[in-house]
Amino acid sequence: MNTRQYIYRGFKAALGRSYVRIKGGNREISWLLWEVILPLLMIASVVYTYRSMNAPSEFIGFVILGGAMMSFWFNVLWGMGSTLYWEKEKGNLEVLLASGAPLYGLLLGMALGGMFNTAVRAASVIIIGVYIFEASFNPATLPVAIIIFFLAMAALYSLGLSLASIYLMYSRSGWRASELLSEPIMFISGMYYPLSVFPIALQVVASAFPLAIGLDGIRRSLIYGETFGSLAVHMILLVVMAIILLRIGLWALEYMENKAKKEGRLILRWM
Amino acid sequence: MEKETAIFTRELTRIFERGGEKIRALDNVNIEVPEGIIYGLLGPNGAGKTTLIRILATLLLPSSGFAYVGGYDVVREPDKVRSVINLVSGGERAGYGILTVKENLWFYSQLYGLGIREGWEKIEQLAELLDMKDFLNVRLNRISTGMAQKYSLARGLLNDPDILFLDEPTLGLDVGAARAIRKIIKAWVHQNQNKTILLTTHYMAEAEELCDLISIIHEGRIIATGSPTELKHRVSKEVIYKIEVKNISEEDMGGLKKEEAGIVGLSTSYDAYSNVLSIRLVMDTSDVSHIIRYIEKLNGRIISISKVEPTLEDVFLKLVGVGLSEY
Ligand SMILES: Nc1ncnc2c1ncn2[C@@H]1O[C@H](COP(=O)(O)OP(=O)(O)OP(=O)(O)O)[C@@H](O)[C@H]1O
Ligand SMILES: [Mg+2]
Repeated sequence: MNTRQYIYRGFKAALGRSYVRIKGGNREISWLLWEVILPLLMIASVVYTYRSMNAPSEFIGFVILGGAMMSFWFNVLWGMGSTLYWEKEKGNLEVLLASGAPLYGLLLGMALGGMFNTAVRAASVIIIGVYIFEASFNPATLPVAIIIFFLAMAALYSLGLSLASIYLMYSRSGWRASELLSEPIMFISGMYYPLSVFPIALQVVASAFPLAIGLDGIRRSLIYGETFGSLAVHMILLVVMAIILLRIGLWALEYMENKAKKEGRLILRWM
Repeated sequence: MEKETAIFTRELTRIFERGGEKIRALDNVNIEVPEGIIYGLLGPNGAGKTTLIRILATLLLPSSGFAYVGGYDVVREPDKVRSVINLVSGGERAGYGILTVKENLWFYSQLYGLGIREGWEKIEQLAELLDMKDFLNVRLNRISTGMAQKYSLARGLLNDPDILFLDEPTLGLDVGAARAIRKIIKAWVHQNQNKTILLTTHYMAEAEELCDLISIIHEGRIIATGSPTELKHRVSKEVIYKIEVKNISEEDMGGLKKEEAGIVGLSTSYDAYSNVLSIRLVMDTSDVSHIIRYIEKLNGRIISISKVEPTLEDVFLKLVGVGLSEY
């Protein structure tokens, strides 16, 4: 396959898979509970804690944005990351591989479809949150926030490529690891508070994680009104991360497929 | 390699390791499938049929030897191979249960690189060909096994492959559904030029009905190849008997000394309902008096003895010594 075909087939696969995700994802109404009501309850509990502590009022905006972004993260972690594993369990993976469509496209479709679904829900979380908890945002810096958001999503997608291969190769232990990791990640990416409350060392660790940088950038722009100039470092870091993670992710997919072909198990449901 | 050869393997071998033990799933397999035919791999459970298909479909690497599909090397040019093949396994239902048959097929059409509209049109065409219009809008998790097999076959035809691999295409289907599938398979090869099917089966009759060329595979080795007529010719010197007996068990029959009795192959099947044991004998002599004596000595009651026309079952019996159904 030459590069043009590789990209074309990848995008076709992404189109197909996002169609499945969007159609299938909205056909069952349970998402309303998981992706709107639960995040709102979570936000509410933190907001009331902050209020009782007389925390600065902008913290409330922080929490709402954090809650909304977190659903994108869960989307990558659970939705995209588990894709290959579930395709295998359903007996689809062999057919998907033999189709010749590149796996990155399939996963991109999973991510985009999921992000589309999540976007609608995250928006409703923000709107309802703003309305109930009276948070205020700075609309003038919305474009910067949106750019940072998409860069963060690109980096998360690239990370998801590796996660998907890891889950497939170490299915059970992979699940357990990501369950164990999800709390520390929420903590370190500063879901409930600005990163600056951390000691420097922890801030450095957090900045290795694209969600933390993205969230920090979005908050700085929407809450403190920072613009392009002061957020350039955030954006550059996210671009670099996206590129490095993409390379690692594509390599991981290739490694996984070769391993599957050599050992003859990996992609079979009953093995 | 000549252009007219759809599939070609040389000394193809695959070894699996399981718990320190080595399993030779394929052992120096040489096959050559000309374009435009239905080629059958006939063999019992564990013979290596699926392993061979998975290697040809680029899903598994051989341990040694090589294979070409559509003129491309399966190890070095998997993408090119994938662009000319498709693969359908019996009993599969690849797709998403929550979506309809039609929606699933459209997803696959995009995976195969068809245009957006082209995909929907192709689905209409295939629905016509496979007679599946009445369940196109039913969710995948609500259709019957027979419908699912048509759906899978439709998926297999979406990219208009030159070479189609079918692994046990009628597995688990009732008689009517299996017949429908066989009809479609035949029509597709015969109405299109240069389309090739490689199918696996462990049903003799299916292989005989469908295939232009058959390889019998046993324990990873190809033990005979030919057209159904040619293969049956291999037992033309033998005499085939079918004997029905009561009051005797399959184990009793196993006690017959094969070499002494002139038996080339023997298979039995017991029908618990009528309590009758059917014995199929491939003999290199027409004299079965000693076998009748053996049965009577064990107090067996012979109901009928008849000479029958050879089938592929008898070829397998002769080559392997036991029946295919005994696996
Ligand atoms: N991934 C694997 N790992 C280890 N052993 C395997 C693997 N796949 C197949 N085998 C072994 O290889 C041999 C051939 O299996 P294969 O599935 O090719 O047979 P088959 O002819 O398709 O049988 P069936 O009629 O049951 O489908 C069997 O002994 C099987 O257990
Ligand atoms: Mg098999």
